[in-house]
Amino acid sequence: MTKKFGDFTAVNNVSFSIEAGKIYGILGPNGAGKTTMISLILGIEKPTSGRILVDGLDNIKHKSEVKQLIGFMTQETIVDSDLTAYENLEIGAKLYHISQGEAKAAIERALEESELTEFKDKPAGTFSGGMKRRLYLVKSMLHDPKVLILDEPTTGLDVHNRVGMWKHIRELNGNGVTIILTTQYLEEAEELCNEISVMDHGKIIASGTPSELKRMVSKGQVVEIITNKESAQKIMRVLQHEFKLSPMVKDDKIEAYLESNSVALFARILGRLIKEKLPLVSISMHLPTMDDVFIKLTGSSLRDSVGENKSDRDRIMLQRH
Amino acid sequence: MTLLEDTLTLYKREMLIFKSHLRTNIIRSAMFPIIFIFFFGSLGSSSTNIHVAVVNYAGNPQSLSFINSLTTSRAISITSVTTQTDALNQLSGSTVTAVIVILPSFPKPSSGNPAVDVYYSTSNFAAVQTILPLIQQEAASAGSTVNVNQQPSATSLRPLYGTASNYVVFLVGGIISMTVAFGMTFGTGMSIITDRQLGNLKSFLISPISKNAIVFSKILAGMTEAMLYIAITLLIGMADGVGIAMGFVGLAWIFIIGGLVAVCFAGISVILASRIEKVEVYTIVAQVIVMPLWFLSGAFFPTTAFPSIMQPIVAVDPLTYATQGIRNVMMLGYYPLQAIALDMGVLLSVAAALLIGSVLLFKNYTA
Repeated sequence: MTKKFGDFTAVNNVSFSIEAGKIYGILGPNGAGKTTMISLILGIEKPTSGRILVDGLDNIKHKSEVKQLIGFMTQETIVDSDLTAYENLEIGAKLYHISQGEAKAAIERALEESELTEFKDKPAGTFSGGMKRRLYLVKSMLHDPKVLILDEPTTGLDVHNRVGMWKHIRELNGNGVTIILTTQYLEEAEELCNEISVMDHGKIIASGTPSELKRMVSKGQVVEIITNKESAQKIMRVLQHEFKLSPMVKDDKIEAYLESNSVALFARILGRLIKEKLPLVSISMHLPTMDDVFIKLTGSSLRDSVGENKSDRDRIMLQRH
Repeated sequence: MTLLEDTLTLYKREMLIFKSHLRTNIIRSAMFPIIFIFFFGSLGSSSTNIHVAVVNYAGNPQSLSFINSLTTSRAISITSVTTQTDALNQLSGSTVTAVIVILPSFPKPSSGNPAVDVYYSTSNFAAVQTILPLIQQEAASAGSTVNVNQQPSATSLRPLYGTASNYVVFLVGGIISMTVAFGMTFGTGMSIITDRQLGNLKSFLISPISKNAIVFSKILAGMTEAMLYIAITLLIGMADGVGIAMGFVGLAWIFIIGGLVAVCFAGISVILASRIEKVEVYTIVAQVIVMPLWFLSGAFFPTTAFPSIMQPIVAVDPLTYATQGIRNVMMLGYYPLQAIALDMGVLLSVAAALLIGSVLLFKNYTA
């Protein structure tokens, strides 16, 4: 599909499919076209060319059926703060034409899931950020969608709420809900997603499982050694002279990049350090992080351009593009 | 009937939000009527300024001092007319509220009849009640008596400023139009913009409801709120002694007219809010549109007082007809069929046009 706004191409000839029951991540710097793509899937924007099938149904031709299949949650928490938790869910249920009887049960269930039953008659405006977020999530799930789209679901949440949200997302996925999520947090994508697409300039520039993406960026691995400050220099010299590596030291932590044959090399390094009786707190080896992947794929320049987003309020307005 | 159901769902939401701010809404909508009715309304109480035509057939010093004594009272504004026929024409044309004819024999009776004849039309009886005692009193001090004649009702169907017995009643009609028009532009329109900013509109648009339901629910909610605003304005008016000459039927008319004004201005708000993204810009544009419409509707003084250059705007301003309609039932005590046809015709067609316009414009709207 392609989506143009005047001369600007927000989504440029993108084609992909998402397997049912998976968690699919869309990563990309600001302005990459993530939000536009989501608007296209939601049917808020019509593609300039191309089409979107949800569960085999064209999302423009079968608008209302497809809308029933999709749940959506943005980075802003959309609840009516003047309405109570119960009223919020009640209106939410009616918007999806859930019958009166079913709605009642669904609302009770949603309140329980979000642990808001005891606050159901309190205005949502009096809730904490995390409570509102939970209310919003269960509201988005009231009509039991097969696909849940999450646009930066944990932006601005504290650690507890973030971990709670991750747990919730995994539970939903465990119940068979296909999840599409965009995120700025690379560790979140790595933690949750079965498959990730990296978008930039309206195109998908790479996709695969998190480890596939990492291998795409480099064949090697990173060894990380934690010791004490005094021994750090010694270890550094060993790695430099005997293994011809270029390690980086920060206080008591040494990191070195193993370009090829990394597993065997790792074993030799470990053996050598033990032989030297150098104190080791921990030694480990891992693939490059998602941060490395992201920077490598999209370049390291900052994308926050000045001028188009003058204020936060404008940013909210610009969400539509 | 999903459109109706969807509309009612969103209407319920609007009402719940309105209810949660009920006190603020009441205070806000009572503010203007209180200021205008009690403060500006009393400005007119000492200067009712009723237009009267005087035909002086006597022309003697006594008659001149009689006219002079009437002029010194600020209640009456006098126009000198040479013949009785001219004066009565002015009366039937509603240019004046009453005609005073001073017979040649003034102050002595003319062949047994009083030397002063007063003519008024039935449609302006309320105003005459306030000036008649004054005329009688001044005539008596000049040594004469007064003969009062009732003329058939005036041809003009519109109560003019000055024909009212009380300026406050005149003002209340204008204030009702105002509270409704302003309530809609700054309530309904603003709520669409904040709904967009907070993302609520997006959540409606991704749900399977029709876009029209969003428009209809906003307008329906606006109408409901308008009813409350009208009731508040009327209650404040009543506290200042304002009544509705036409009684309960008049009350019903006021709500019908107010409801149509609500549709018109909620429609304007939807059209503006579906094009304007910033609250600041919306406020400016809405003010630029609504303020002149309100001012030119004759809310403060009769539209005949405006220069001719503005008359075309007065003629197409729906608020003009709403204000006039409300004044008919509040001041005249009856609502002539001709006036109903005109007012309702204009208000209904403007409301229908704006309703269609708002639905069509909102169709292209993406959150």
